[in-house]
Amino acid sequence: MRLTSETIEDVLDLVLVEAERSLDLSDVRSIDVYALLLLDLVVRHARESGAPLRVTWPESPSVCRWMTAMRFFVDVKTGLASRPVERNAAQGTRVESGGAANASERAAGSFALGADVSAPSALGASTLAPIVSIEREDEVSRLVGAFDERLSARYPIDKSPRRRFLRILLELFQNIPQHANATGDVLDPHGIAAMHDDGHSVTLAIADKGIGLARSLGLRLGLRLRLRPGPRPGSSEQASLAQADPEQASLAQASLEQSRLSDTDALRAVVFDGRSRFRDPGRGHELERIFRLVRSWEGTVVVRSGSALLFQSEAGGDVVDVAPFPGVQIALSIPRAVFGIGEGPFGEGGVESRGDPGFNEGNEENDA
Amino acid sequence: MKAMKKTTLEISQFGRRLGTRLEGETARRVLLAALDNLPPDGQLVLSLRGLDVLSGSFADEAIGKICQLLTSGIHGDRTLVVASPSADLVEDLSDKLAQRKLALLCRVGGTKGTWRVLGCLARPLVDTLELLNERKSATTKELAEALDIPPNACHNRIRRLVRLRLVREEKINVAAPNTQYRFHAIVE
Repeated sequence: MRLTSETIEDVLDLVLVEAERSLDLSDVRSIDVYALLLLDLVVRHARESGAPLRVTWPESPSVCRWMTAMRFFVDVKTGLASRPVERNAAQGTRVESGGAANASERAAGSFALGADVSAPSALGASTLAPIVSIEREDEVSRLVGAFDERLSARYPIDKSPRRRFLRILLELFQNIPQHANATGDVLDPHGIAAMHDDGHSVTLAIADKGIGLARSLGLRLGLRLRLRPGPRPGSSEQASLAQADPEQASLAQASLEQSRLSDTDALRAVVFDGRSRFRDPGRGHELERIFRLVRSWEGTVVVRSGSALLFQSEAGGDVVDVAPFPGVQIALSIPRAVFGIGEGPFGEGGVESRGDPGFNEGNEENDA
Repeated sequence: MKAMKKTTLEISQFGRRLGTRLEGETARRVLLAALDNLPPDGQLVLSLRGLDVLSGSFADEAIGKICQLLTSGIHGDRTLVVASPSADLVEDLSDKLAQRKLALLCRVGGTKGTWRVLGCLARPLVDTLELLNERKSATTKELAEALDIPPNACHNRIRRLVRLRLVREEKINVAAPNTQYRFHAIVE
């Protein structure tokens, strides 16, 4: 089984729609970086919702090594229950987390808290940047700098596409502190990013479980279009609905439903029309611009928010319905040729693919 | 018309990689202070020398919003221009200015580089601006004749350029029934 941007939707269906609490990933032979981030958020979301998943992690040693190198198990363990737990994790204390992290440790084998997984020996050859957490806007430039250093250290890349790519990173990274918790009611939007090279493309994945595009736009578009995912427990709205007779409650609920901006409409408005929750004409259009740029590079774009997913590649694309999940998750897959990677003295494929077969290898299991 | 005072501000003082709106806000405060320290007809030259990356968000927060303020007239006849070592460095700035329906003159490629318009400016306005920049100064009548367009059309074009702070106007022959103006390029 390969866990990709497509097949991760099966996992989400299982967990979010069918409410399955056990997840068997033992047969997983490869995971792409976007699927990895979504898996991270799904495990975290389930635990925060009070129904932790029992995950059987991949048996494949190379997949586990790659997940470890990507800091998946570190990230999925930290900051789950509360901030104090995160501090404990940083200090090396074991975190009880519904069994998932402990299972991950067993599966990962060599995984140990505090290990320097950023060291080249610990990183998988294809790991460009392991998972980093994006919390504050004043950290964004430093994080982007770290991604830049990793990419530039690995390959000599052309100046102009590098600059464009860094601008993409800067915009997408700062979107998390700026928008993921714009309503202020998300305990931890948990913005994360990672970068991977599969030998053909450099893939950047950025994900959070914040308010998502529809609620964000709803902040601007007023009550008529405001997305309201049902009354919150304990709110006056819920109290009124509870006191109303069933018919009235049903009508009120229908009225709320009508006032919502759909995830599909919101996603289209942001990606295709450049809409933003701000009225300032200088705001917005970032995702639209990034979408156009990556497509001009013949890259692939995945944007997921709520129950809508946009997939656009050379073969075409569309917005499709998916299992509802909070936040925004994005993957940009850019052909290596855009950066001038793989155009060495040996022509297409270059030195890397001939002289060092391990240099570009993906995380796909070959030893099964 | 006397030569305007120019002050150059190196944007790399804020860092080599300028990306977030938060950083842009900080830079805007410094840029506004520099603008306020200029005489009423002074010019702030924003140099991008030494910069590695300039994101759209930073550019909008630090430069786009200042351009917006300049068009409102609260900074008098002060003008702002950008000097960039390369064209790709100002791509996102240009997009952000276009979003705001603003324009800015940018010299690309060092002291002997070429001037180009960033942002959003219709072709006829670009033609008028280029002609004025070539002539250094002219009246509406002179520009209209050179462009072979009706004076009214030329007047509308030049008023828009003045509003965008891409050219400067000077009152001449105030005693005439209608005040006459002469327009000046803001770049050499």
